[in-house]
Amino acid sequence: MASQGIGASVLRNEDERFLHGRGQYVADITLPGTWNAAFLRSPIAHARIKSITIPDDLKGRVFTAADMTGVGPIVGISSLPGFRVSEYPVLATKKVRFVGEPIAVALAPERAEAEDMIERIAVEFDPLPAAVECLDARKSGAPLVHEQWPDNIVHQAEFKLGPFDEMVKKAAHKVTRQFRISRQAVMPMESRAALAHYDARQDELVVYASHQTPHLLATGLAKFLGMSQRRVRVISPDVGGGFGLKIFVEAEALVAASLAMRLRRPIRWIEDNLEHLTADANCREHRHTLTAYADNQGKFLAFDLDVVVDGGAYSIYPWTSCVEAAQCAGILTAAYDLPSIHAKLATIATNKPPICVYRGVARPGVCFSGELIVDAVARAIGREPYQVRIDNMVRPEQMPYSTITNKLYDSGDYPESVRQAVKLADVDGIRARQRRGETDGTLIGVGFASYTEQTAHGTSVLSKWGVELVPGYEMATVRMTPDGDLVIEVGIHSHGQGMETTLAQIASEVLGVDPKRVKVKFGDTAMSPYSTGTYASRSIVMAGGAVATACRTLAKRIAVIGAHLLQAKADDVRIENAQVIGPKGQVDFSALGRAWYLHPEDLPPAVDRGGLTVTEGYRPNPDSGTFSYATHAAVVSVDPDLGTVKLIDYVVVEDCGRRVNPMVVDGQVLGGTVQGIGTALYEEALYGPNGEALTGTLADYMIPGATEVPDIKLAHMTTLSPWTEFGIKGMGEGGAIAPPAAIANAVNDALRVLGVEIAETPITPRRVLAALAAAGKL
Amino acid sequence: MKVTLTLNGRPIEADVEARKSLADFIREREGLTGTHITCEQGVCGACTILVDGRPVRSCIALAVTADRRDVRTVEGFDDDPVMAVVRRCFSECHALQCGYCTPGMLVTARDIVTRLPNADRARIRLELSGNLCRCTGYLGIVNAIEKAASEIRARRP
Ligand code: FES
Ligand code: FES
Repeated sequence: MASQGIGASVLRNEDERFLHGRGQYVADITLPGTWNAAFLRSPIAHARIKSITIPDDLKGRVFTAADMTGVGPIVGISSLPGFRVSEYPVLATKKVRFVGEPIAVALAPERAEAEDMIERIAVEFDPLPAAVECLDARKSGAPLVHEQWPDNIVHQAEFKLGPFDEMVKKAAHKVTRQFRISRQAVMPMESRAALAHYDARQDELVVYASHQTPHLLATGLAKFLGMSQRRVRVISPDVGGGFGLKIFVEAEALVAASLAMRLRRPIRWIEDNLEHLTADANCREHRHTLTAYADNQGKFLAFDLDVVVDGGAYSIYPWTSCVEAAQCAGILTAAYDLPSIHAKLATIATNKPPICVYRGVARPGVCFSGELIVDAVARAIGREPYQVRIDNMVRPEQMPYSTITNKLYDSGDYPESVRQAVKLADVDGIRARQRRGETDGTLIGVGFASYTEQTAHGTSVLSKWGVELVPGYEMATVRMTPDGDLVIEVGIHSHGQGMETTLAQIASEVLGVDPKRVKVKFGDTAMSPYSTGTYASRSIVMAGGAVATACRTLAKRIAVIGAHLLQAKADDVRIENAQVIGPKGQVDFSALGRAWYLHPEDLPPAVDRGGLTVTEGYRPNPDSGTFSYATHAAVVSVDPDLGTVKLIDYVVVEDCGRRVNPMVVDGQVLGGTVQGIGTALYEEALYGPNGEALTGTLADYMIPGATEVPDIKLAHMTTLSPWTEFGIKGMGEGGAIAPPAAIANAVNDALRVLGVEIAETPITPRRVLAALAAAGKL
Repeated sequence: MKVTLTLNGRPIEADVEARKSLADFIREREGLTGTHITCEQGVCGACTILVDGRPVRSCIALAVTADRRDVRTVEGFDDDPVMAVVRRCFSECHALQCGYCTPGMLVTARDIVTRLPNADRARIRLELSGNLCRCTGYLGIVNAIEKAASEIRARRP
């Protein structure tokens, strides 16, 4: 058998069911007697609720906050100093604080009937002025989202690290820009979903949820329902994309769960697209002012960042509303050997949906401002932006490298990723073409963006984030079946990342089993070890490490039993291709499974009592995270008359250490990159002056389709992590980080002849034309 | 309202509400949950099925419009040789991740390779513009369709 272990592009175990329509998502599950839930949601961003009137015939079918005693409120507390706590009621109590906030829920056998019912509920509002733009909401005198607070500041912090003042004095160049990153909806193709029922036999609440972190959801449900965790089981079946959206405890799931318990009836809520694009438009929105200080060669001396993140109306559990802003200082140095920084971070409450994280978390925003300022510095001193990048980057011989912000970069050759991207994007060719000019009047530009991505960061890092849930050892159970196959149980989740295959490949690497004979199970809290779940690009490093560790322990036990069956010494046997091979013969794993489970009379006397089931924990050492990195290059053509931006070419050079399954890695990078293209050019959850949601359909909120993206060129470097099993680095989020910056830099390169710069996402034709008009170039 | 149709080769008679979408009918009444729903507005293509051999968005088609028609969903291609090639190419080219868009993608992909066996990559992308995928970035899907088309062309005399 050719190696099916680490490094092989093994076709995915999960494909078969998806290709035949046999995937099972929450909406596909119906339990007898299920009632479907429809939520009445606030049409107003900020208002007092004067009254709610429910027609008599709907009593017992429609529920409001008055029926939710003992449920919630959701409280996402950060222990960071000065954090202001908000209470997020599962159904609105006296006030509504964002468009889409749930006010009441109606239940009926069919969703359509439930929707008819919510039409008949009358709510009288007393509208209040809304805090919409976070920069305005920060000012004194702004409408207060939480009236008991003195202002809308959820949390703020300031850091000065390294010899900042000295560097500022030394600097020959000071370049300042302001940046805006739009609010987005994560928009997985399967929206959020929950189906709750009470299992009388087990006396437990069972919640099927579309979720990345089922154990964490179970913990949260128990907490906010006031139940013992013993009595809460979460099953997260097939999940149609997560990307960070599905990692918090949702008000709707709590409502469904409490009503299922109370009515002793399954309650199902499937978020529809309008709900997702309005009530769930919950990520990204940053405002930055960034100043770079550099010497006259363009060597960076200091970065000074002022970040405001729009935190929305409430803080979510367990990640809180300040986890986005709080990361912005730490990641500011990016791939650069930067001696000093100053950063001011603020999370501001507004009358918009509560902020959650989305692929890359704060990095797409910080990469956007950081990489655009790099280009602005390069323009100021008249050098090629890629050269300025290379000159400033942490060099491979400096690894491991500790940033001024206390991140420990483990390995990599950052400048080489730029050099390769320069070649693949053919910068010389583009420069020549720019000198010739385009016959159709468009302008061509090339832009770069590099990043580092901290992945699989563990206890030592998250314990400083102020969140209630800190990951520790990641656990995996590996057991051999009586016929010699393997079952792996893990607490992470997979929703597109192919973990049913890649974890099987890791088992194959250690034990030589065919990945097709390894069943990887996850998603059911009753049948997997506790885990904080899948987020922060951690699962292949953490669960992969746990699987490898457990398989090695299992290998020792297998060797003892196998040697006995072969009448050899345990030291004289080896494991290969799912066999124990001794000096004079071999036995298949099936013979071992048979001996342990069915014929213990064949076992050696000194057998391990743990048998052929092993649970092991894993944590890299140090656990401060392993850093993937990449350089992206975009080539665009801009039409200065129409303001349109067309992507002509796109290059990614990435390094995520050892690639367990190169095909899967490519898929993750490409998918992330296209989401980043969406951030760069198309996606924006728009709000009117009173906080009204303006983008409620996929015709208004545009995500990239097949025609919007070119054939992306992908190149890999492989620098192993010294700290993880097999040198693997996490990489699920990275693709989404750089595209907004790379594309904006390309647009600015194109517009350079006109002296015009863009500093805002998405780069829509309207924004390009506005920038041209502002410069008098239209 | 009464409807009579063929669903994956099986004759069906049903009484449906006038407002019931074909997607909901297939999923809820017939239990064929391979047809997925995202936008319910005709934009994303997740719910694409075949009606009388042509791709239709089942979220914006009413069940009553399927009266006397031949409806095929992702569950109904098990003996279809073209779909067998398309499926294998999807797996080989990593054209699916979470699998949610996949049933609609497969129906569209099969339509592309059947109707436009010589389509180039640009044309494939254009034909795919009614099917959104949030996971793959489309490259794998375009590759899979290109590969399936070339295999199917090679088989023809
Ligand atoms: S669900 Fe039918 S087109 Fe989107
Ligand atoms: S594979 Fe997830 S949406 Fe296409």
